[in-house]
Amino acid sequence: MSSREEILGRLRENTRETYNFPDLSGMNPITFSDPVAEFIKKTTTTAGAQLIEMQEGDDLNELIRRAYPDAKLLASNLPGITADLNPDTVEHVEELMKIDVGIIEGRIGVAENACIWIPQQMKEKAVCFASEYLVIVLKREDVVSNMHEAYARLASSAEYFQQYKFGTFISGPSKTADIESALVYGAQAARGVTVLLQ
Amino acid sequence: MSTQHSKAAEVYQQHTEVVQRHDQTFFGVRQKRDRMAQALPEWERLREAASQIKKHTITHLADYLETFEANAVRNGVHVHWAADADEYNRIVYDILSQHQVKKVVKSKSMLTEECHLNENLEKRGIDVVETDLGERILQLMKLAPSHIVMPALHVHREDIGNTFRKLIPNFDEIAQSYAAVGSMPADENDPTFLTFVARMHLRQQFAEAEAGMTGANFGIAETGDVVVCTNEGNADMSTSIPKLHIVSMGIEKLIPNYEAMGVFQRLLARNGTGQETTVYTSHFRGPRPGGEMHIILVDNGRSSILGNEEHWQTLKCMRCGACMNTCPVYRRSAGYSYTYFIPGPIGINLGMLRDPRQYSDNVSACSLCCSCDNVCPAKVDLSTQVYRWRQQLDSLGKADPMKKMMSQGMSFLFNHPSVYKTALKCSPMVNWVPAPLMNLKLNPWAYGHQMMKFPKKSFHELWKEVII
Repeated sequence: MSSREEILGRLRENTRETYNFPDLSGMNPITFSDPVAEFIKKTTTTAGAQLIEMQEGDDLNELIRRAYPDAKLLASNLPGITADLNPDTVEHVEELMKIDVGIIEGRIGVAENACIWIPQQMKEKAVCFASEYLVIVLKREDVVSNMHEAYARLASSAEYFQQYKFGTFISGPSKTADIESALVYGAQAARGVTVLLQ
Repeated sequence: MSTQHSKAAEVYQQHTEVVQRHDQTFFGVRQKRDRMAQALPEWERLREAASQIKKHTITHLADYLETFEANAVRNGVHVHWAADADEYNRIVYDILSQHQVKKVVKSKSMLTEECHLNENLEKRGIDVVETDLGERILQLMKLAPSHIVMPALHVHREDIGNTFRKLIPNFDEIAQSYAAVGSMPADENDPTFLTFVARMHLRQQFAEAEAGMTGANFGIAETGDVVVCTNEGNADMSTSIPKLHIVSMGIEKLIPNYEAMGVFQRLLARNGTGQETTVYTSHFRGPRPGGEMHIILVDNGRSSILGNEEHWQTLKCMRCGACMNTCPVYRRSAGYSYTYFIPGPIGINLGMLRDPRQYSDNVSACSLCCSCDNVCPAKVDLSTQVYRWRQQLDSLGKADPMKKMMSQGMSFLFNHPSVYKTALKCSPMVNWVPAPLMNLKLNPWAYGHQMMKFPKKSFHELWKEVII
């Protein structure tokens, strides 16, 4: 008998009483009268990121340039973004480790914890992690209050059962407190994050 | 007779400053968790939901595993099943050797500790690099984790700095690049500086490795997703550069769908480290372009735990570590005092489930204060289970002979009222025994505190006086 059959058999044999999936409609999770305001607050405090609210007439490329004036290698595959590199065109993924600023698009913002959902819309997800700094472009109308709403939105979206290979919630820059509990930004992935709220 | 835990804890206690620092560090995390709990009116509903979802999933686990497998395969992932640690290690080695892997970058996984994967691979000539900063520190120092979420908080910065200077070959070069953009810190063991050194060192490892390994915080049956949560982004880096991704997942990590994921995402970091979220909550569904992704579903005793009527609910655990942070015994005795590789309340129970004869020394590491039961986000009744294990010690041949004798003596005493009354009357005589004789090492009552003073009148007598 294969291990698979053995494991499944033993699980079935050892299951006695069974339990139903709970009804979560009474969860009544925390919501915010102004989710965008809460999202901005959480992004710039606990998540440790920068946030720029775009005003009418603002130029996206100019804002990015102004946020990272010293950056030498800007990379993005987003239409309308002026970048030095389209990351989808590199031959070896290691080259993406040289990116100074990666510019990507978020689909959902979550007010309670500053998470931003980023489904893989680029050839290599390395852009989201290997870049020294990350700019995430997000629309104000895509901000929800909590993770329940975010996952409900994902589960009802067209891409839920589609073949996207990867998706991640990112909340601010990479960080660690593994040395004597001292909080340090820039562990292994992006050292800083700027959210551009459209 | 003392247990291994109490003996090791006694040695640890001698370093008062170290104990205080450890205690305060983890109680600080517990307090952060409390602030998270107080900020959410739905906190208790979340815990109840987590408990019920886990109970549901665990009691339908065979079906969910089949669904998960089918969806993962549909996503282009290779799924393997390992009945025990040996089979798991064999599968990992086979995949790595098929791809001629010389170096693996690895994000934190307690399952690989459980199965001794690193030793196994290193014996066969594969270089394993831990990429979580805490785990990397321990690996370089050849130490085991002392906590499942914050594995190296017991190590001091001086020792970390010395280790890095000695063992990271291009330390000086990295230090120079740090100085080039800012200035060298006054403290050569400054955490920001050492983290930068580790960043540069590890990014080199990501680029060199041919394979990345991760654990799994959750598996989602409905979609075949594997979810990994980190603050450092090391799981993401480990899988972004190498072409091969191997996931090691205990079968109890499965949950049904995204609705359930919403509950657990909100609980994991709040309970584990007192954060609203980890920086990265990554859903893996398939390999890098041109790469391969493998998931190894590991049983290693879990399906048998399901059959254990008194202890099956330990399978609800999501390894957040909240029970350790709140445990007064863990905080004052630290991870290495325990004989199982997972310490604290959950470790006591998992050790007993692994091998009750080998790991029974840990059941003494509990004051039955029940704090862990009250913080566990999945409502595992940890201390109640410890209590149950203690009742079984005698049948395991592991009961403390002195306590056993005392129990038998007390049983005799309470079953013979006349003897009991006489003993009670005579007890104040003990007060006349000279203190040096009473506070001997032979008298366990006098260990760590003064021998008590017996009152002239017993409660028994006082009670009778009032009633009559």
